[in-house]
Amino acid sequence: MRKSYVGNNIKLNEFDALIRITVEMSKYLYPYIRDILKSKEDLEENSVIWNDFNKRFIELIKERFNMDSMRVKKLLNQAENDEIIIKSLLTLSFSISNQGYQKLKNFLYDF
Amino acid sequence: MQNKLSFHQSSVSLEIIGLPDYSNNENKDQISIISQWKLTIIDKPLIEGKMEHLWPIMNAFYIYSNLLIKNEIPLFESKLIDIKADNLHIHNIVLKSSKPNVKPLILKIGNSLLSDTINCFDQLNDSPKVRIKKTNLPYNFSKKFRYGLNNKVKFFNFFIPPFIAICSLILFSSSFIYFYNPFENIENKEIINPE
Repeated sequence: MRKSYVGNNIKLNEFDALIRITVEMSKYLYPYIRDILKSKEDLEENSVIWNDFNKRFIELIKERFNMDSMRVKKLLNQAENDEIIIKSLLTLSFSISNQGYQKLKNFLYDF
Repeated sequence: MQNKLSFHQSSVSLEIIGLPDYSNNENKDQISIISQWKLTIIDKPLIEGKMEHLWPIMNAFYIYSNLLIKNEIPLFESKLIDIKADNLHIHNIVLKSSKPNVKPLILKIGNSLLSDTINCFDQLNDSPKVRIKKTNLPYNFSKKFRYGLNNKVKFFNFFIPPFIAICSLILFSSSFIYFYNPFENIENKEIINPE
């Protein structure tokens, strides 16, 4: 999905390390993740946070991802990407405990 | 004197009240026998109950959150608690009382409060001060199951490439059968060796 001409397969230990980094980042970013989720719950009252996040998310995807991929196009589709973004944020917010590494790993294996 | 432990996450707090099990030589500040628990969600009615209600409710939240993420139908129903999704952002919780003639308590919570609640339960699970036999929690997979997941991935990585190679070989070689006519070969041999 990323803009890269080299197709590298991720190794198991690298995959584990990425999960650990993601869990630590989620712990640190939990208040922000929560605010984004809350903003989407009542868009009429507080849409600024969600709109800013969504705008930046799309900017980053356009900048770093391969736009020719169908999966990337799905991420950019406004009608479909809401569910993907919310479920991804929820997954991160459920994985901030001490057992977060194992939880996130299980979520990813089941994905 | 009962011990009191609190777990907080943003708008949700969970309070556990109970006693240590002195017959197991436990410390004074531990809780092994829960007499009461209270789940406080800001702007929502207080949820409280006894020990036997806590684990089924925690299980319900864990199972529901798992279903929500795995793209399955987010619906959990039991004698004690029902949780279903109104939409992608709002979750409807129905808490049924074990006492007769008591109306069920209905709560609507958003994704932010759901994740706060799950994190409070996680803190309770992680706490060394609360020693409760934790059963049937979906994240406490047995070692066998955990290794099963890894083995599954390794098994597929190991066997799928040769399997695809063999299949494609059979497919290609079978297509060549159409170009080969055994009768034509016999006729050619007869022409070469007229005897």
